[in-house]
Amino acid sequence: MTQRVVRLVEAPQGVPLRIIDLVGGPGVRRRLLNLGFHPGDLIERNSNALFGGPVLVKNLTTGTNVALGLGIAQKILVEIVDDQT
Amino acid sequence: MTKLDRPVIIFIGQPNSGKSTLFNAIAGYKAQTSNFPGTTVSHTHSEVYIEGKVLRIVDLPGTYSLNPVDPAERAALAHLFQEPPDLIVNVIDASLLGRSLELTLELLELERPLVVALNMVDLAEKKGVKIEISKLASLIGVPVVATVANRGRGIKELLHLCLDCLEKGGCRPVAPRWAADVEKYIQSLVKSLPPNFCGLANPRFTAIKLIEAGDTFCHEILEEISPELKIRVEEVRRQLEALRSMPAYEVLAAERHHLALKLFEKASKVERGRRVSFEEKLDSLLMHPFIGYPILIFIFALFFFLIFIIGNPLEQLLLKPWSWLNFWIHHQPGPPVLKAILDGLSQGVGAGLAIVFPYFLPLLLLMSFLEDLGYLARAGFLLDALMHRIGLHGKSVAPFILGFGCNVPAIMGTRILESSRDRLLTSLLIPFIPCSARTAVILAIVAFFLGPWWALGYYLFHFIIVAFVGRLLASFFKEPSPGLILEIPSLKIPSIKTILTKVLWQLRSFIQFAWPVLIAGSLGLSCLQLIGLDHWINQIFKPLVKDVLGLPANLGVTLMFGFLRKELSLLMMLQALGIDYLSLPQTMTRTDLVVFTAFVSLFIPCLSTVVIIWKEISWRAALLSILLNLTTATLIGSLLRLLL
Repeated sequence: MTQRVVRLVEAPQGVPLRIIDLVGGPGVRRRLLNLGFHPGDLIERNSNALFGGPVLVKNLTTGTNVALGLGIAQKILVEIVDDQT
Repeated sequence: MTKLDRPVIIFIGQPNSGKSTLFNAIAGYKAQTSNFPGTTVSHTHSEVYIEGKVLRIVDLPGTYSLNPVDPAERAALAHLFQEPPDLIVNVIDASLLGRSLELTLELLELERPLVVALNMVDLAEKKGVKIEISKLASLIGVPVVATVANRGRGIKELLHLCLDCLEKGGCRPVAPRWAADVEKYIQSLVKSLPPNFCGLANPRFTAIKLIEAGDTFCHEILEEISPELKIRVEEVRRQLEALRSMPAYEVLAAERHHLALKLFEKASKVERGRRVSFEEKLDSLLMHPFIGYPILIFIFALFFFLIFIIGNPLEQLLLKPWSWLNFWIHHQPGPPVLKAILDGLSQGVGAGLAIVFPYFLPLLLLMSFLEDLGYLARAGFLLDALMHRIGLHGKSVAPFILGFGCNVPAIMGTRILESSRDRLLTSLLIPFIPCSARTAVILAIVAFFLGPWWALGYYLFHFIIVAFVGRLLASFFKEPSPGLILEIPSLKIPSIKTILTKVLWQLRSFIQFAWPVLIAGSLGLSCLQLIGLDHWINQIFKPLVKDVLGLPANLGVTLMFGFLRKELSLLMMLQALGIDYLSLPQTMTRTDLVVFTAFVSLFIPCLSTVVIIWKEISWRAALLSILLNLTTATLIGSLLRLLL
């Protein structure tokens, strides 16, 4: 049951992840909250655009798809949720 | 009071909820609509006649919440409070019910009459989400109507429900309550509000906004109005922060989030393990890290060639009668004044009909298709890294692409950008993007005389200029961009009806606003030529036109008109040189043509673009934009002259 907390940019693709925290200033936090990304939500990291482009993230809790720049994806802490649970 | 006779209904919803499509579907019942292209419209309004009554409906820019983070959202919020409506219609994307309800909950907190339009229920079902409408309505305490705006479904029901609410005075919700421990602090702040405090909507809503809005809601003036209240607000914020160990605004956002998810769970069933839809498969290709890029290039190439393939034969077909007409006018006896007027008229009408239309129309159609498909956000995703090179990020891609249609809405579109630095930078670059009017002329003249490859090269050339100028500007605006957070809406195969309606609107505005300017411009030039004033104007521009660019001095006068609308310069080129369209190659060499087209399409943002930059950003930005364009055009023009 030991869970690993990583930055979203470092998280593996295609597995459920739980948002632990949004680090960063209120500007970024508020924008993420407005788009329906809250701590506790399950998300999934999908493809990356080329050349250091953004990460495509799907919020499994609300069904939203969002493209996050690498700088923003650095600021989202997630833990890997065990697939069995 | 007229307000009661003509009640105001506001449409509010999150971006991509299909709010504007719903609005347009309703405006189809309209008698009067005001939608002025080129003027600053932060909202669109229309009057609807239904059962002998007039409803004034207002479409606000999309907003994710009532805690705005960008200028478009601020505009929506300001309108909501400055002109309180008689009824609010909250448009929801049913396929994203869980998230969309967060805004609905905020609207419920207003305790103002509210109706929910649950839009895109077809898409929700495709995604395996089945919503029980009656259950949702009873849970949130306001009426809910299912709609599919792009197919016109549910619109009559929605309007009838609105009328019903207005007549009976119902549909007034009760604000949902949160967890008791959070609610306790909210209520304690409500009690601390001075009795005559200039609140919003109701005391609870005011208290909530004081806690969560941070600096956006009268925080600075609070110090002056009521220092005690400010201390109380800060105290309550600290208490909430201690309670949940997160910022106070996040505590409230989390409350709404949980409530919204609970409502979503109760009111809907999600079917698991369903088949992946065609749209989703297509989407995974469009967004693919490798395949996505060739597709992007292919789409733009296709875009270009389709316009050319449709436009070119149409242009040839339409040009012939106008050449004959011009020939006929020139060889008629009669007073020179009459001849000048007739000539100006025929040139102006003909230019609009034969040169602009054949290219303009397919371009509008294809643009609308890409826009409605949701491709703009996808292009933003793919091009984010590239945009970083010019100091911007992927969110600027959508305004840029809109710029290919018309620069004016593109600059208004920069309102979706959070930082003012990004807005300024994007707005300064947009005028370098060839809009549809310019494209039409580029295609008509460059492609017509030099072939499609020249035109394509010419088009790509604009991208290089944007990249170059962007890079240069970025080195002056070092402040970092806030980073990309861009929602990717689900891919929707657009409905033909919606596209046609949209194109018809744009076409109508072209006929109403742009074509008359074309005709007036041609008439004006005829008159100038008649009294010989064109000669003097040409003398003024001669150092630039003849000495720097190496073009016939006669073209100077067209630059004056180019400021009104860029395509005028090119269209009036023939009139100014006193030649026929088909005999152009004898007067202008290939180099002349390329240099002139390049210069004209860059030399200055057209009048409406300057005005919109002035209004949206500042007069300094408008001035900067003019200087930037003039310098770039002169440099490019003289460079091309040397190279070719």
